[in-house]
Amino acid sequence: MNQSALRIGIWVYLAIFFAYLLGPLAIMSVTAFNSSEFPRTTPWECLTFDWFVELFRDERILNGIKNSFIIGAGTVVLSVAMGLAAALMLTQIWPRLRATYYTVVIAPILIPGVVLGISTLVFWDRINRFLGLGPDSFLSNGIFLTVIGQSTFIASYCMLVLVARLQRYDMGQTEAALDLGATHAQAFRKVLLPFMRPAIASAAVLAFLASFENYNTTTFTFGQYPTLTIELAQKVRYGINPSISALALIIVLLTVFFALLHDATQRRRAMAAAARLGAPVTVREVAGGIRLPRVLSGNPAAVGLVIFLIGVITVVGTATAYSPAACIARVDAEKREAAERRIEDLRRQREEERERNFDGVFAPEKLTPDSGEDAGATDDNGSGFGNVFDPGNLQGEEEGATAPEDDADTSGFGNVFDPNTLTGD
Amino acid sequence: MMSAGVGVDLEDLWIRFGDFVAVRDANVDIRGGDFFSFLGPSGCGKTTILRAVSGFLEPSDGRVLIGGRDMKGIGPNKRPTALIFQNLALFPLMKVWENIAFALEIRGASAGERRKRADELLEMVALTGQGDKLPAELSGGQKQRVAIARALCAEPDVLLLDEPLSALDLKLRQHMRTELREIQQRVGITFIYITHDQGEALTMSDRIAVMRAGVIDQIGNGREIYNEPATAFAASFVGENNVFRGTVKEVRGAEAVIDTNRSGTLLATVSPANRDKMKPGDKAMLFIRPEAFSIAETGTSGDHFVTARVTNEEFEGNVFNIFMEGEGGKELKVSLPNLGQSFESHLGAPMTLAYDVQNAVIVPHGDLATE
Amino acid sequence: MPRFLKEFFNRNGTGMGLVMLGLVLFWTVGLIILPQLSMLDFSFRPNLPPPEYGGPKDVYTLENYRYLVFGPEGGSQDFNRVDLRVFYRTIIAALFVTLFNLVLCYPIAYYLGQSKTSKIRIFALMLIIPYWINEILRAFALRIIFGESGVINSALVGLGIFDVPFDFIRNDIALYAGLGYAYILLMIFPIYNVIESLDRNQIEAARDMGASWITIHRRVVIPYAKPGISSGCTMVFMLTAGALAAPQILGGPSSLWFTQLIYQQFNDNNDWPQGAAYAIVLLVTCILLVLAIMRLFKVNMGDMGK
Repeated sequence: MNQSALRIGIWVYLAIFFAYLLGPLAIMSVTAFNSSEFPRTTPWECLTFDWFVELFRDERILNGIKNSFIIGAGTVVLSVAMGLAAALMLTQIWPRLRATYYTVVIAPILIPGVVLGISTLVFWDRINRFLGLGPDSFLSNGIFLTVIGQSTFIASYCMLVLVARLQRYDMGQTEAALDLGATHAQAFRKVLLPFMRPAIASAAVLAFLASFENYNTTTFTFGQYPTLTIELAQKVRYGINPSISALALIIVLLTVFFALLHDATQRRRAMAAAARLGAPVTVREVAGGIRLPRVLSGNPAAVGLVIFLIGVITVVGTATAYSPAACIARVDAEKREAAERRIEDLRRQREEERERNFDGVFAPEKLTPDSGEDAGATDDNGSGFGNVFDPGNLQGEEEGATAPEDDADTSGFGNVFDPNTLTGD
Repeated sequence: MMSAGVGVDLEDLWIRFGDFVAVRDANVDIRGGDFFSFLGPSGCGKTTILRAVSGFLEPSDGRVLIGGRDMKGIGPNKRPTALIFQNLALFPLMKVWENIAFALEIRGASAGERRKRADELLEMVALTGQGDKLPAELSGGQKQRVAIARALCAEPDVLLLDEPLSALDLKLRQHMRTELREIQQRVGITFIYITHDQGEALTMSDRIAVMRAGVIDQIGNGREIYNEPATAFAASFVGENNVFRGTVKEVRGAEAVIDTNRSGTLLATVSPANRDKMKPGDKAMLFIRPEAFSIAETGTSGDHFVTARVTNEEFEGNVFNIFMEGEGGKELKVSLPNLGQSFESHLGAPMTLAYDVQNAVIVPHGDLATE
Repeated sequence: MPRFLKEFFNRNGTGMGLVMLGLVLFWTVGLIILPQLSMLDFSFRPNLPPPEYGGPKDVYTLENYRYLVFGPEGGSQDFNRVDLRVFYRTIIAALFVTLFNLVLCYPIAYYLGQSKTSKIRIFALMLIIPYWINEILRAFALRIIFGESGVINSALVGLGIFDVPFDFIRNDIALYAGLGYAYILLMIFPIYNVIESLDRNQIEAARDMGASWITIHRRVVIPYAKPGISSGCTMVFMLTAGALAAPQILGGPSSLWFTQLIYQQFNDNNDWPQGAAYAIVLLVTCILLVLAIMRLFKVNMGDMGK
């Protein structure tokens, strides 16, 4: 096979692959700025930041964020503790049992999250009844159950991370500490823990992220305390609007920023360690071959931060100087005109029909207006098209999005939709 | 002020791991203030004994007494011992001075006190000014000394050292031998040292225990071990030795006559440990050191003469080594001191060697050291 | 006290030892083993309102399992076609998605693993970042794109390929694209890890001897990469079969996923034992298939540590 053809082929494949991977995110980010009621990029109506504003006013979202943090914190503590204990145990367990033990602690990763959620629910409900406690007890508290359910498998991940570090630990150090007079607790605190600290930090971050984004298990256990992920899922299933895109964009930016920050911190640490030992380290090696201006080399997080600040300033600047209200008003005026024109056309049609059949056989309902496209799901309930002539129909809110929950709706047409037109599953 | 003169006693000590016997009926009396070595090949159980003394291992039978107190059930952190590990086990994330002052940190001393004490100890081990470095930045010998300082900071009654010099190169090893001995004498506490290097054991120790496969063959000072080995193993492990196998023909008090397999009848001294235990008819081994031979007139025969043919000659600087082959293929090595005399080569020719009966030792038949 | 326990407390100290033992037992027994057994037990019980628990009606029964296969008693059909079909489709679809993922990701993983350029870091970062983003949002993004007025339909209609926007969602294409997308990282990484440790010289040698690249992969790379491949396949299969968010968000009305059935039993029908039974069926099937995959590739549990 021709080498250069192969090379080109590889690049094309990679390009398509990364487009598949990153494309959706890019597009979603763009929709956050489109004033259209349903997230889309075409047709582009007006540039607006209103969706971000609405995002911050959404009570449920904010509540969800709070719960996510609380549950995340709880899960981190429990998972890291269990993971560390299990990792220490793994190194000490008698070899005959080791394979079984390992299988048991790795199993939660393979068990479907749904199953974990259900089993947690069923089991603790049973204990609850067994102890005679009512439905308000701590054991049926959504936060408790979610932390327990998530920790079951997140501890496995933590354990893997910790074991990797633990294997490089020299048990002689613990013995030396003991020999010099330390109690077991002191030896643990002063010798083992400092050694494990980087791994513990990694495990904690891992645990928090895994807990934050968990859905399959949490969806059964959350009780009265929905997490942000749960709220998001509800919104996505029942009420899509671009405030979700806005949230997504924020999360993407935060993620990218922290990823770069984490990367930069690791590299700086590596450089410092190398410098301490006097080994010559080329910036080129450490920067992974990315060529950046001197000042910023080795620190893409700084680059990211700079870009981000520029972006924020631009955004805020344009936001204050530019108001989308005029644009939106114009767009709505256009839509209204288009709607009126269509009504006119229909009236004319009806006139012509009436002229041809005096019986008035037809009923207005028989007319199927082109009230815009619809998603396949809404075929199931025709109620969305019940109000044929209501101009509100013609705003084109297909796929059943509800009108925005607050005053950001500048169309003035109000909530015309029956909740049953929601995109189904 | 560190206490000097705390002794360690092992009484009827047995240590088993499942079916495997690591230490068999050890009885050792270590005097306070001594530099005591356990000498033996790898796997002979010396590390096991060390771990039993330091508290990481409970004996299966018998007792460990330190300063007369039974140490049963007392954990390593409560025993008056400090262990220097073979790989040193310095704390990599702590600075040198923090490593050294660790024992004080455990007891809750203030940072100022700890730093002061660490500096004192650094001076004692000749590492002044290195306190702020990390262990990774030190050389092998320096790390060794930090380990010693750290152990001394705990003010132990007994210092245990697990083959501390084995990882160092030759020159450093020899230098450290002298240093360790000096430190011990200066500080005055009991040192228990384990090694497989008999040179170290002989030069540094007040007394030595020779060990093999869990059994202690002999305890004594360097000269006793070297000149009067109690077993074939001790005789062959420590220093070089020529061995003659045979049967006891006659016992005359402290001396005995052996019918050797290939070198005729020879007279020698029974080592003190075996006197009154050997009888005619016992299988025995006769050991004569290479330096114990002198050249006699060729052809002389008698109960302290051996004749053989020279196969190889070597000049090693301080000695002349002569390799010989006797009847039936018996191999011999003779070392003559280089006193500036002219050396005549007898390569290929027969030569008769004489030895002083005091320098020839008879022990019961046993396993030789396989090095 | 048994000797090994005594040694354990000697080694770790009484306090620390108790804490360690406590945490590990709480996790393994209290969180992993007992809840599964409890769910298993629960699945054999009838659906009773709380006051009747432990009462005379609370007996073991196979009713829940029978329901899965035969449908409601006195129902109109011999078999519970709906649920069974959903189950069957879920498993088959999961297998296909796994296979698709494998074929898609293997070249990438191979390229990354064998590549000597330091651009690896950027690639790795680009790969990982989508996965730090909530799976709900990823599904949402795909939902927008595949929707009526999404980019894809706009492009297709605009280019004149279709007259009317194509309903990707109803046709499950969106769902499969979403599922394929979701777990790419989990397929790439294990394979990448293994391939990275493959000595390049082996491949060079094979090429020297004139082997075509098909042969090189078939005889040299793939056998070596088996643990990574089986690791990746196992994870992708389990996660796809057990996926809930993607089917809920991207699925059309006819593409119910088995997990959605379980969800319905719990939330809509309030029939917990039935839901538990379904969950057990899902779990056991997944485990059996995973064991089959492991046997097929001749790897064992120990190789699967990431």
